[in-house]
Amino acid sequence: MELKVQSVVKSFGEKEVLKNISFSAQSGKALGLLGRNGAGKTTTIRIIMGVFLADSGEVLIDGKPIDRNKFQIGYLPEERGLYPKKIITEQLMYLAMLRGLSKKEAKDACDHWLERMGMSDYKNKKLETLSKGNQQKIQLAATLMCNPDLVILDEPFSGLDPVNAMLLKDVIKEMIDGGAIVLFSSHQMNYIEEFCDSIAILNGGKIVLNGRISEIKRQYPRDTIAITSSQYDKISSFVIQKTSDCIESANVSKDEENTVIIKLKNAGFKNRIMTALADNGFDIDCFKVCEPSLNDIFVEYTEDGI
Amino acid sequence: MKHIFQVFKFEYLSCIKNKAFIAVTIILIAMILLMSFLPAIIMSIATSSGESDETEEKPVIAVCNTAYKDNKLIKDEFSAAYSDYDIKITDENTSQIEEKVDSQDYDFAVIIDQPLSYTYITRNNSMFDETSMTVSEIIKSIYKINALSEYGLSSEQAGKILNVDVTSKTVSTGTDQTKNYISTYVLIMVLYMAIIMYGQLVSNSVITEKNSRAMEMLITCAKPSHLMFGKVIGSGLAGLTQLVLIAAVGVASVSTITASSLPNEISSFISFPVSTVIYALIFFILGYFIYAFLLAALSSLASRSEDLNTLITPVMLLFVIAFIIVIVSLNSGSVDSILMIVCSYIPFTAPIAMFTRIAMSNVAFWEILLSIGIQVVSIYLLGLLAAAIYRLGVLMYGKPPKLSEIFGLLKEQHNANKKIKQSN
Repeated sequence: MELKVQSVVKSFGEKEVLKNISFSAQSGKALGLLGRNGAGKTTTIRIIMGVFLADSGEVLIDGKPIDRNKFQIGYLPEERGLYPKKIITEQLMYLAMLRGLSKKEAKDACDHWLERMGMSDYKNKKLETLSKGNQQKIQLAATLMCNPDLVILDEPFSGLDPVNAMLLKDVIKEMIDGGAIVLFSSHQMNYIEEFCDSIAILNGGKIVLNGRISEIKRQYPRDTIAITSSQYDKISSFVIQKTSDCIESANVSKDEENTVIIKLKNAGFKNRIMTALADNGFDIDCFKVCEPSLNDIFVEYTEDGI
Repeated sequence: MKHIFQVFKFEYLSCIKNKAFIAVTIILIAMILLMSFLPAIIMSIATSSGESDETEEKPVIAVCNTAYKDNKLIKDEFSAAYSDYDIKITDENTSQIEEKVDSQDYDFAVIIDQPLSYTYITRNNSMFDETSMTVSEIIKSIYKINALSEYGLSSEQAGKILNVDVTSKTVSTGTDQTKNYISTYVLIMVLYMAIIMYGQLVSNSVITEKNSRAMEMLITCAKPSHLMFGKVIGSGLAGLTQLVLIAAVGVASVSTITASSLPNEISSFISFPVSTVIYALIFFILGYFIYAFLLAALSSLASRSEDLNTLITPVMLLFVIAFIIVIVSLNSGSVDSILMIVCSYIPFTAPIAMFTRIAMSNVAFWEILLSIGIQVVSIYLLGLLAAAIYRLGVLMYGKPPKLSEIFGLLKEQHNANKKIKQSN
């Protein structure tokens, strides 16, 4: 299954919030929808959900306009919200039934997801009696109860402790493996790198970068290498003296311990450095090409304003 | 439709199960029971204490008469007015009498020194003491009887002539306002309270969803208009359930006591004609929808309960004005004044104005139909408008927009939707 957002334009009054947005996401994969605050992520999500109508453009599933009655969407909004004063089971079942589940299906789904989230003990409690992290888990149960074909998670990890974050990771992986399309919006780039194959970066209402993360990273020149070794200072002076024809610079890394960062004149010289170091008997722990982090890429594409 | 039903069910059950709602219902029922049985209780206490009084000593009123010859006439006239007192004709002097009043041997004393002048001696002169008025009347009567007896009538004959009574009977061919006054008054109060209370219920429910951001989840599950209609119908029916419950208790208890203990003259005042009650029900439903839609739409524009008051006060004020107009007209008896006739066709005032006119005067059936028709059409239009505002409001956070801004946004939304429809 493929979700396609095609040429979507949306204005609020005079302000054009989305300027011809297009991207697509496949089932069994996760797409990271990135962007700075106010870039138009939530508006995009709401158009996909059918809360807003697009001024022009379409949301397609396998090439046909999306039928939200048949195609289940689970949405975890960034602004978490359920009824604080209502019994957890009651409100979960209410939301599930609004999504079209029968009473029995809703009850089963409710039991299943509360169990999965480790929240079965709380099912007859009021939501407000729970801690913030646990409320978040209830919210997640509400999102996933309808067994959605498309899962939209907006900052799902905020407020979770490491154990709960692990639980959520497992659940998200299950959803992805189960063939759901996962749209993932977060500012925590490490999670995006962990789950997402592709990203779409929104900036000022436009998609400024869209594609597979690995391919995007490969497009950057691979001419910087990082060597980690206990003899890092010797390596540094060695490469400067012996292989000066291949390198532009060699510096001890400020961020990583025992590491030298070497900038090559040409990405092809990588092997020559590796051979020279091996021949001279250096003890090397790690030899790798420095790829730009998602963080760097994000900053590069969104720095110049909204 | 399915969504409206689900929202309706959820709202209805939430209301019914709400502890505050249950508490209010119980308190109101308790009040109704208390109020209906209170007259009977008071009467039984009064009679029982009256019986016990006979064995005890009655308080004494001392009358010192130097102006009239006939002391018996004076004693009779005082006894007639003060049946619960012993009337003592005394010839003690003023200071002796004052002493006895002060020591509470006498409850009070009257010294009649001239035919039309007397001194009233009491221990504490209360603000609300009506004794001197009563005594003046007694003395006037004594004077007249005395004067007539000088013309040759006996004091019994003179007394009979002076104390004649007239009995009367009123037959009204239209609506008997005196008979309907109390029931209409009660029903207007109930209508007013119910519409405001259940309207507020909707208002609070909307603001809770917005404030807790539950709305963010809800709008992804159902259309805003479905959410609103479900909510309005749910709260309304919950209110109706409460009303019916209270009314049932009221009817049961009133019929029990009127059958048993109350004198006819009083029970005829508390009659609730079936047709009036049915009209009250119809106008409650109409009024509720008019105000609930308005309140739902306005509440959706607020993001915090603090903003809510500023937004809904104008609507509440409108209804309070309608209420005042109706009550003033009701009390002055002019329920068919031009103001009331106009009010009974304005959707915001019609629910209580038209109801009052139906209950208290003769309104042609076509007028009733016209008023109901206007209200039904208004409900339809207000429903559409409220749904549109609600759609805008539910995702709007921060400072609530001004009225002019709302219409600007609505127009824009309408145009955008039209454009989208055309392009499809």
